[in-house]
Amino acid sequence: MEGGYSPGRFGRALGWATALYLVLPLFIILPVSMTDQRFLSLPHEGLSLRHYAALFASGEWFASIAQSFWIACASTILAVSAGTLFAIAAWRINRRATELLRALMLLPLIVPSIVYAIGLYRYFGWWDLLDRFAGVVIAHGVTGIPYVVITVSTALASFDVRLEQAARGMGASLRQVLAWVILPRIMPGIVSGAIFAFIHSWDELVIVLFIASRDVFTLPRRIWDGINENQDPIMAAVAMLLIVFTTLLLVVDLAVRRRRDG
Amino acid sequence: MSAALELRGLAKRYGSFVAVEGADLAVERGSFLTLLGPSGSGKTTILMMIAGFTEPSAGQLLLDGQDITALPPEKRAFGMVFQGYALFPHMSVAENIAFPLRVRGQGRAERDEKLRAALDLVQLTGFADRLPKQLSGGQQQRVALARALVFDPALLLLDEPLSALDKKLRAELQEELRALHRRVGRTFINVTHDQEEALSLSDEVAILNHGRIIQKGAPAALYERPRSRFVADFLGKSNFFQGVVRELGGGWLGVQVAGLRLRQVVDGPRPGLGAAVLLSLRPEKIAALGAEESADNIVEGVISAWSYLGAGFSLAVETALGVLRVHLPAWRAPFVPEIGAALRLGWAADAPTLVDDDDAA
Ligand SMILES: Nc1ncnc2c1ncn2[C@@H]1O[C@H](COP(=O)(O)OP(=O)(O)OP(=O)(O)O)[C@@H](O)[C@H]1O
Ligand SMILES: [Mg+2]
Repeated sequence: MEGGYSPGRFGRALGWATALYLVLPLFIILPVSMTDQRFLSLPHEGLSLRHYAALFASGEWFASIAQSFWIACASTILAVSAGTLFAIAAWRINRRATELLRALMLLPLIVPSIVYAIGLYRYFGWWDLLDRFAGVVIAHGVTGIPYVVITVSTALASFDVRLEQAARGMGASLRQVLAWVILPRIMPGIVSGAIFAFIHSWDELVIVLFIASRDVFTLPRRIWDGINENQDPIMAAVAMLLIVFTTLLLVVDLAVRRRRDG
Repeated sequence: MSAALELRGLAKRYGSFVAVEGADLAVERGSFLTLLGPSGSGKTTILMMIAGFTEPSAGQLLLDGQDITALPPEKRAFGMVFQGYALFPHMSVAENIAFPLRVRGQGRAERDEKLRAALDLVQLTGFADRLPKQLSGGQQQRVALARALVFDPALLLLDEPLSALDKKLRAELQEELRALHRRVGRTFINVTHDQEEALSLSDEVAILNHGRIIQKGAPAALYERPRSRFVADFLGKSNFFQGVVRELGGGWLGVQVAGLRLRQVVDGPRPGLGAAVLLSLRPEKIAALGAEESADNIVEGVISAWSYLGAGFSLAVETALGVLRVHLPAWRAPFVPEIGAALRLGWAADAPTLVDDDDAA
């Protein structure tokens, strides 16, 4: 923020303290993941990378990472298509009924996931979707929609309707207006929504606990089991990888926003 | 090919509010029409109905005799320059201008050729790869014009295309716009609330107030023969005299105004004896008379305020008729004005016009 008021000494200290508080747990993970012990703890004698080596050697962990990744990709596609189409439709129609629908779309954010998970368990039992890749994709995709609706609606709110009118006035069909004018303008919003939907699926645990058991065994599920059964420091190594990966995604999100604003 | 457009009783209501009431207007092929009116008078609404973005509540729209009232905007495909231009911010100048061609699925070679011609037309060759935000206001306006003209639309609609620009640039672009109109020979419909722009650019001007077309005609006819107080006041400045007809001559009236008898020529329908009339007199039609000079109407006065305008003086003169606003060209002013100086003013019997008192401000 060039030319803004600079914060006072107190404000600056408070800001740093808050930031530190937020990232402190992350910094604990790093030394724990490099412990020389065989259980979750801080290093005693020296640092060691053997838990990372074990992680890369383990087929189980890798299978879970791959499965989580593909589930996140598929559910992101689902959430982005449904969320974007809904946001554009609500924006174009803009009646009172669409306001109600918009509130409905945000429901998965408001309803506790455990309530949602119980409901899904029932339905998926009837439809034979329990412990299936498709079942988890649908569950994560639907609960990811609100993130996309929010970011795309925000992008649309600042879209100048005269651009759409200008394009139509020059003879563009609805599809051309969408592809050449509206979508490029709201692309940063779509990308942000996609990143959030991806992260949502990537670290979702509660629903998976209910609707998956053996065939679908996602990464958060494996970490959960690992903590419950043995205190293997391999989990800290996994957590570190997750943090790095998530940070990368957020950096991409920032870059996309910067490009839009700049 | 250029087009003739006709509006028949075109109206727009928002609930009980009448934004435009029954507009009748015929725009000739290849002419330049300006819709002029104060803010909120319904100019944009009329333009948006012509472009097809606003659905009329009543009335018809005809293009070359064909009813296009129900046609969606993408089928009408009139060129339009929006207020604020509405350039696509994510496209370069070239992509913006080529957009209507791309929509029509034209080939690369054809597109490039038309693009080059359009850039030439608005003198922006060399700016093709810039983004709109890297252009000045005047350059953006020219991109918008090029984009609206590149696909040879039957009609070009302009919504206050110059209002965001400073005075000098505006004057320059007015020139350009007029030259452009002559060169491309299309039908232009322009919206503005700048009366000078309307007078200098148009073949025809339609004056709007409260959603109604009050008067339309060639700029000179409107300026010289305003039919109502609103038109006389909105298009230029005017002095108004409220009077009563006391004398009927052949082709002229004697009008009693505040103890003075004014001689006034009439060419239209004549009011009868005793009728109340309103006269409108342009400030530049009043002359400062020398001691021996005479005129049809003469009034004595004292200067109460003055200002120098470069080309002339603007005076406020206290007279028996009230305070008169007078414009004198500097080279003809027989004096250097001074507050309190006495002055004889005169004007010809055909200088003022009789106008309706529609009492609108
Ligand atoms: N969507 C709408 N709903 C209700 N009233 C409207 C709507 N659009 C325009 N109006 C009203 O219609 C009237 C005419 O509006 P319009 O935009 O045509 O004015 P204008 O002559 O273009 O004014 P300006 O010079 O300020 O642009 C205004 O009083 C406006 O408030
Ligand atoms: Mg307007």
